[in-house]
Amino acid sequence: MSMVRANGIALHVEEVPPIGAHRGTVVLIHGMTSDSMASWFLTLAHPLSEAGMRVLLYDLRGHGRSARPESGYRLADFVDDLEALLAHWGTDGPVYLFGNSFGGTVAFAYAARHPAAVAGIATIESAPPTGEWFARMARRLARAAETLADADAVAASRPLVARRMRAASDLLAQTSIGEELPASDLPDPAALATIDCPVLCLYGGESAVKELATATERLLPQSKHVVVPGQKHTLLIKAPDQVRAEVLPWLATHVH
Amino acid sequence: MPLDQTATILADVAGMLRSVLGDFGDDAEITMDTTFRDDLGMESIDVVSLAGRLQARYGTAVNFALFVSGLDVESVGELRVGQLVDYIADSLAKVPATS
Repeated sequence: MSMVRANGIALHVEEVPPIGAHRGTVVLIHGMTSDSMASWFLTLAHPLSEAGMRVLLYDLRGHGRSARPESGYRLADFVDDLEALLAHWGTDGPVYLFGNSFGGTVAFAYAARHPAAVAGIATIESAPPTGEWFARMARRLARAAETLADADAVAASRPLVARRMRAASDLLAQTSIGEELPASDLPDPAALATIDCPVLCLYGGESAVKELATATERLLPQSKHVVVPGQKHTLLIKAPDQVRAEVLPWLATHVH
Repeated sequence: MPLDQTATILADVAGMLRSVLGDFGDDAEITMDTTFRDDLGMESIDVVSLAGRLQARYGTAVNFALFVSGLDVESVGELRVGQLVDYIADSLAKVPATS
């Protein structure tokens, strides 16, 4: 495990070097509460390194093996962390940002701050930081807090699900993420509209997140949207083959 | 492969696992048959966090991302320590010795 101190906090990072010629750099950003870098590491780290990418991964603050401060969970804190990590990694030139769920939102928010530093954005079940998306996240966080009481009942029959619920419950119980994140100051829509890099957005056909696609298309007309039928919000970990089949050819058309 | 090489790699990997497990790792008996999740209580993120330690020990000779590629967050926990040890031994056998 590699721990890095960035933006005043200890963050767990991993790196997978490119195989063959170095063609670009990609940062993989995971989702909120029960997620960690593992969902990316197991699904795309190797295929991306085979495509010549330097692959950089980290656990968001409060998640995985990164430190979990009691507070400091506004959107801007997550973007500051990414900014500090990119400085630590010393990337040369624009980077690709891949984000799962909330990780995609961090990617868009970073790109709104530094449009020229981002070569492309690929998201799974995500949206830019808009009021509508944050209202959905707030409801999701509130619902997660409510279902925590059921974790013990689930534990007996479905230990892995219970483990994920517990990871989420610890974060919600030990930190102020549930209050702070929904109350974040959001980027000006005009700043989001300055994102002019290629954007690929994947959605599960059975997930409500795809309802946000139209708003994202309006905000970012260059974005490409793909719905994977039959999948829910867990698209990345449940259908990694389909995710790879969309993301890798898209990347190949943009990496030179 | 030679048995002493397997034993050496197992000892290296057991050391890495103990440091991932922290205080819980001191008493854990780690053999080739030990499973990451059921025997050591490791979650997928704990297994993934071996990446940096393996890189520090073996450099690029051992491609850990390839080893776990295609496993899902559940099946990675079902891996046995011996599968990782054998993979490391096979990977090292493919590169010329440098020491």
